[in-house]
Amino acid sequence: MSALPEPLNTLIAELGALPGIGPRSAERLALHLVQSDPQAVQRLAQSMVQARAQVQACQSCGGFTAQQPCAICQDARRDPSRVCVVERPVDILSLEKSGSYFGKYHVLGGRISPLNGVGPEDLEIQELESRLDREPIQEIILALGSDVESDATCFYLAKRLASRAVTVTRIAQGLPAGSGLDFADELTLTRAIEGRRSIR
Amino acid sequence: MHLAHLRLRDFRNYPRLDVDFIPGFHLLAGPNAQGKTNLLEAIYLLATLRSFRGVGGAQMIRHGQKGYFVGATLVGQTEQTVKMYWSIRERNLALNGQPVRKLTDYWGTVRAVVFCTEDLLLVKGPARTRRRFLDLLLAQTQPGYLPTLQRYAQALRSRNALLKQPAPDETALEGFTRELARLGAQIIQPRLDLLPRLAALAQSAYRRIAADTENLRLEYQPSVKQDMAVELAQARARERQYRLTLIGPHRDDLQLLLNDRPAGPFASEGQKRTVAIALKMAQAEYLTSLHGSPPILLIDDVMGELDRQRRAGLLPLLEEAHQARSQVFMTCTEQNWPRELGRALQGWQVHEGTLSPAA
Ligand SMILES: Nc1ncnc2c1ncn2[C@@H]1O[C@H](COP(=O)(O)OP(=O)(O)OP(=O)(O)O)[C@@H](O)[C@H]1O
Ligand SMILES: [Mg+2]
Ligand SMILES: [Zn+2]
Repeated sequence: MSALPEPLNTLIAELGALPGIGPRSAERLALHLVQSDPQAVQRLAQSMVQARAQVQACQSCGGFTAQQPCAICQDARRDPSRVCVVERPVDILSLEKSGSYFGKYHVLGGRISPLNGVGPEDLEIQELESRLDREPIQEIILALGSDVESDATCFYLAKRLASRAVTVTRIAQGLPAGSGLDFADELTLTRAIEGRRSIR
Repeated sequence: MHLAHLRLRDFRNYPRLDVDFIPGFHLLAGPNAQGKTNLLEAIYLLATLRSFRGVGGAQMIRHGQKGYFVGATLVGQTEQTVKMYWSIRERNLALNGQPVRKLTDYWGTVRAVVFCTEDLLLVKGPARTRRRFLDLLLAQTQPGYLPTLQRYAQALRSRNALLKQPAPDETALEGFTRELARLGAQIIQPRLDLLPRLAALAQSAYRRIAADTENLRLEYQPSVKQDMAVELAQARARERQYRLTLIGPHRDDLQLLLNDRPAGPFASEGQKRTVAIALKMAQAEYLTSLHGSPPILLIDDVMGELDRQRRAGLLPLLEEAHQARSQVFMTCTEQNWPRELGRALQGWQVHEGTLSPAA
């Protein structure tokens, strides 16, 4: 179809497979790269490889980190009695940006979603329970979205943790209905955390 | 409110149409297969974002084209513009130049009630058709109803998927059950609240247009007696067997009774047609009473199929729409032209996807 050299086509295909990059952008980026200073491209490639090799999930909380455990888990100034449960690692970034939370985190890695074949056993719930055994946790704050599946997941967690000596709260439902955390602005998130309520 | 301007591009058999409409009666005349019903379909689409023919967007794209465009100017207390583009890859809806984020922000911009041959399904069709009739009316009149309905559908799909699993996690199931019961109550209650008003309107409409003296009664038939949460728990054993959510507003029906007998299996064809029209009249009158102004009435062929007496019963409703500077769009072929509407009519000739004022 096109008269482009094979390596360029391969590059366009790889870039186009990235989220948020359509065929036009992929082509533009690829053309830019093949005309750039080879050293700059080398650095870009290097940083991608390095980031991928070094950024891992924190073995304790599941957040992004280059060291084990992550900076947040290690930070002695953060309140160890509170753990905020989120769906994905990126939700930690949203909450950190809001600047209104100073406890620790725990990434579930999803939510109960029968339509996608995700059950409780596919989530990091056992790991959360073993953290309850090891760490001085007094409050679990559920910071999931407000859609049907998140609701059911919150209910599930509250019930499963009911026998533990821990308070389970859920952030206020000031979030736009049906959406996840990444749609909420910082002010809304701050209010949601302040307005959390016990769900027992 | 009235539709002052309609613009179509590649919609059904209309390559391009730009037409101004004044308030009042509009008679769309023309032989078969010229585009009369298609025009009503476009107006209905503006009101409900769906076709009354029960088809998806793809069927409405003119054959061989990529997408259709429907645009409108609406004049009431203020002037509003709607622009809608639909193709397989792209859907755009803009109100007054702003993209519409949530459908609930758009609902109510245009209100229309259609009278068409498909209405007969309200009587003959499955319960789903009648639930949809109630839901559409409630979505048009109560701001929170549509989001609740959508969320209920989501909870229901999730719960059914869970029930399909060989050994569903009971606690996870309970999570979805709670949500389903909570939302279910928020759907059943407005339906129950609507019913006395709607039933009274349908009953008197039937009396006005029917050739018989039978009595039309509407009865909501719930699958839940009192407490959906409790009854879902009781149905658990049966659910295990069927792997499906067996009770809830998605299983309810609206019973249509003629002299206490279900119209579907017992009424004559003529009676069924009259019941269907009575339901639509009730819908239009309910909307009128709620908003203080009548909706746009879209009447497809129905008038021509009715005898004189039944037509006379419909006239006051049309008259009212006319008085209130709303609009009535009515289609007919030359043969079934309802002569009693001879006055104050704006006549249009529909010919192969074009519209021209009738002489
Ligand atoms: N997607 C489409 N693209 C092009 N033409 C279409 C499309 N869908 C329907 N048509 C054509 O539109 C015509 C029918 O239009 P419509 O249903 O409005 O007829 P009508 O004027 O109401 O006729 P009748 O009096 O028989 O009800 C048919 O010729 C049909 O082939
Ligand atoms: Mg027709
Ligand atoms: Zn960590």
